[in-house]
Amino acid sequence: MDNKKNIEIKNFFIFNSSYGAKENEEYKKILYYYPFGESTEIQIKNIGLVEGIVQFTETFRPSSYVSSLHTNKLRQLYFQPELNFWIVMTLSVPLVTKIKDSVSSNEYMEEDIQDNVYEAILSQAYYMYRLFWGTLEQTLVTGNADILRNRLDTFFNAYLKTVKLSNADILNLYGGIQYLPLDRQTFLKVQCFVNLLESSYGCIEEITFLYNEHVIWSGIEPNDMKVMYQYLIGMLLPANIETELQGGSMPRNSPFATLKRGRFITGPTNLKQAKTVGTVPRVYLFSNDCFKEHHLAVYRCLSATVCIFIKGDTNLTLELFKELDELINPRLSCVVAEIAEYCSKQIMPSITSGDTIPKFIYFNKINLAYKSTIHLDNKQTENSTCSKDSLKIMADMKDQNEFLGRAGESIVKTKNDYWVVGKNSNFREFYIVLQTKNANLIKISEEVKKLCDNELKGIFFHPF
Amino acid sequence: MAETNHSDCYLELSSDPIRFEAVNQLTNVFFDDSNKDVFAVRSGGVMGVVVKGPKGTKPLNFRMEDRGTVLSIKFSLDHKILAVQRVSNSIELMNFSDETLDSEYSVSCKKNSNILGFVWSFLNELAIVTDHGIELYSVIPGKKSFKQLKTISATVQWFVWCPANKIAILASAHGSQLQPVAIKQGSINKLPKVETESGRMALERDVTLATLYSTPVLLILRHQSGPQTAEVHVHMLNGAGQAPVKSHVLKLGLSGRFAINLVDDLVLVHHQASRSSQLFDIALPGESDGSVKYHTPIAPAKSFKPTSIVLPGLVESEAHICELYSPNWVVFQPNIVIDAKLGCLWHISICLEELCDQIKDLGVCTQLALKRSDGKPVLLKLLLDTITQDKPPLEKLNESFNHINFVYRDWAENELQSTLASSPPSVPLPESKTNNQPRVFIDQNCMTEEIFQKINSEDDLTKTERILTSYLSSLAEYGISAQYNLNKLLVTTLAKQEKFTALQQLVQYGVISDSKPLAVFLLSLGNMHASSNQMALDMLARLDAKEEIQEVLLSEGQVLSALKIADDTAQPRKFLNAAKNADDSTLFHSVIYYFRNNPNFAAKLKQDDRVVSYINEYNVIFSDCDTDK
Repeated sequence: MDNKKNIEIKNFFIFNSSYGAKENEEYKKILYYYPFGESTEIQIKNIGLVEGIVQFTETFRPSSYVSSLHTNKLRQLYFQPELNFWIVMTLSVPLVTKIKDSVSSNEYMEEDIQDNVYEAILSQAYYMYRLFWGTLEQTLVTGNADILRNRLDTFFNAYLKTVKLSNADILNLYGGIQYLPLDRQTFLKVQCFVNLLESSYGCIEEITFLYNEHVIWSGIEPNDMKVMYQYLIGMLLPANIETELQGGSMPRNSPFATLKRGRFITGPTNLKQAKTVGTVPRVYLFSNDCFKEHHLAVYRCLSATVCIFIKGDTNLTLELFKELDELINPRLSCVVAEIAEYCSKQIMPSITSGDTIPKFIYFNKINLAYKSTIHLDNKQTENSTCSKDSLKIMADMKDQNEFLGRAGESIVKTKNDYWVVGKNSNFREFYIVLQTKNANLIKISEEVKKLCDNELKGIFFHPF
Repeated sequence: MAETNHSDCYLELSSDPIRFEAVNQLTNVFFDDSNKDVFAVRSGGVMGVVVKGPKGTKPLNFRMEDRGTVLSIKFSLDHKILAVQRVSNSIELMNFSDETLDSEYSVSCKKNSNILGFVWSFLNELAIVTDHGIELYSVIPGKKSFKQLKTISATVQWFVWCPANKIAILASAHGSQLQPVAIKQGSINKLPKVETESGRMALERDVTLATLYSTPVLLILRHQSGPQTAEVHVHMLNGAGQAPVKSHVLKLGLSGRFAINLVDDLVLVHHQASRSSQLFDIALPGESDGSVKYHTPIAPAKSFKPTSIVLPGLVESEAHICELYSPNWVVFQPNIVIDAKLGCLWHISICLEELCDQIKDLGVCTQLALKRSDGKPVLLKLLLDTITQDKPPLEKLNESFNHINFVYRDWAENELQSTLASSPPSVPLPESKTNNQPRVFIDQNCMTEEIFQKINSEDDLTKTERILTSYLSSLAEYGISAQYNLNKLLVTTLAKQEKFTALQQLVQYGVISDSKPLAVFLLSLGNMHASSNQMALDMLARLDAKEEIQEVLLSEGQVLSALKIADDTAQPRKFLNAAKNADDSTLFHSVIYYFRNNPNFAAKLKQDDRVVSYINEYNVIFSDCDTDK
């Protein structure tokens, strides 16, 4: 019988290499260390090792620092988000223990850890921290190292619990955003609603509008939105929907649902009883290379989520939230009803055709939009319609993209008759998985062309 | 006089009234509302009759014999026959030319009938209303004779005539029975009766016949007893067979004496006690009980603006401030006020701008202005003023745009239908064209010129962006596609704010419509943000503009990609040049190789002298490996 040990975080630590230069003061370098129980001695040792590796490898390639270290049992990933600050994550390589003739043998699945995928997870952790606390340097400027240590503790102790390692794939590389397809008219209704809200209150800087888990309008830059989206989809909304369901709320598609009032899910969640504004998270956006601090008030009504970015220096009052609620609620419910109506008309008739749905992932580098027919949800479960190998091939192809120039194509055939085709053109990437027995390159090309013609309507995609 | 007190007045009497001799012991004054003539009859006509028609017509002056008190006096529609009523059973007729009256002949009504009045219904057709009905005569002035065309019998106590629609209301049983009658050329038709609450009486002065929005209407002022206030019931004569249908009720909220005028399809109700007038528009939305719409005044009741006339004084002429709502006032339809004691005839006009100031609600103002004959400049100014405010009310603007575009869409649909109908080269219909044109028509060009180009967009780009979006949203709501200039303005406004994320979303969702010029414009923004290149290429792909895409790819040095989408009309020279400039001999080879091996181009390549230099260059580079065989 085979026994499999999954990928795990062995340790995760943050340090500043410019601290504690003197002997016996090395502990000062440590800003955060997981697991908690590890002795300071080991922590210092591990940091020292990383510093050593980084310095050593720099000799060979001064242009960029080393990003990962492979060993038989471990994989260490390095990320320097700010000058002198390092975040290091060490993963245990998945292990399969085979028992043959009552002799067990260990096989480490090194291939299961793709550097670029886990590097993305590492940097994502930092960006999520930065969204709520700003840069590490900033905390040092406005506070001190102890405050920083506290913040990192609070944040990462909670965050690391939510990190899903085992089903990470090419989607982590993108950190993409799913947009809702909508007709012009309904979209303009949303747009007008957003404009009305923004113009009514000078303190509202930006607004983002989601329907279920899809973005319809985002006023913030894609790079900020990417992190924001992960926060909303991965943390805030699931937690909220859970409480909504616990409260015995009606099923989402119930006709009574329209009667339901919207409410704030950050800030005063129950306006009638609220005495204070409650907790409104502060977020830092980084548009045009500068920080902007905002209060993040999130309003939910039916399936719509409206994120309101209020200027950081605004004094939040209960009155403001009440006014906003008065303004938002009647208008938003109308807008949502129209979106819902549009969406209900769009139910795909494709399933009836009998064909299997083509398996592809589409990504636009400009607005970070992605679409996947391979992932059935965006919860990173094992729910995918193609083999893990194919997904791995895609992530590998993506790494090679830069060699293809503005437009290019790569095709891989696997042993089990899978064909993985990656194309990039006009700042977009398109990956397709086909399973055809006894196919050849021409046949595959034809099929891919058909698929492109179908799925990539209305955009310019290089001919191949 | 405190001018400021009157700045909020929205009603105005014409500044140059038609002046006539005032009523006194010797002079009687008559008004004929068919021709809009004022008759000043001195001493029964012996001392002269002065007739003043509307502005621009020459006053007539003549004398006639005094044969008793004149009860009524009216010219035929062409002013060639004068009809005078002095007794209760006959009308005297006189042919009129060159300011002199010719021999007299008279028409008598049936025996035992009393004449209540008469009207010239058509050229040389005289309708005499008696207490027994209507007698219609054709007058033959040359022969000084006449011929009876038609009579109808009905009990009549009084009647009201509408010259514009040639409709009369015959009242009996103290006005509780109202019978509309249409007088056509040579005939008279009874229309279905006005249905009123049974036994409800009405006075002659409380009944008004006029036209509202091209439909003949009957307005009945209903005084209420007790604490209730008066109402005006509006019966539209647009049912089957012109049957009157009570469709609107105007709630006056007052009681007392009222008079009604109609100005530019608005109903104006004057109230003498409060010396103010209320304004109603039946086209505006009102509470409805399914069949009748209830209206309240569209603005606070106001008095007329003060007006004065110049009167001759002892030494020099002096200004006389006219008394407004004077007991001597008599009103005529549609918008005439006569003060017989003063000898003045005014036309009422509405100052739309002041009226809108009073209303304040932009949505109502828009609906109102859209239906007024002089509404366009007022509405545009109102929009511009609203937009240039510090915080323009977006929702109200959107509502206003919707009203405007509702009219715009209707017009566009009509236009489309008429072009479809006349698709074979048929006779153009200039008449129907002018009918199609709404009173106030504001299209995209007009909005661009009068509003968007006048907003100082540099000042507040966000505002321009929001208002443009609102307008585009309204256009989309009515299925009107936006023109290039608006699209470009939106793109420019966003680009100036570096809102490329927003721009991209707007393009993605089709808010900004595709066009080649816009794609070119986006390309020109390419150095500001990579997204505009992507958007431009997508747009060109949607427009299937292969040639333009080729150009873009060539300019980016993507020679092979450009070549792949090129068809047989491609110019080899362009590609060769691009390949040469790329300084990539493999690429250069590929391009030449492609053209040489494509039968469509192989011949061309040899014919074109300008290509020779490239081939020579190629031969130099690849002299070692001769592939030309």
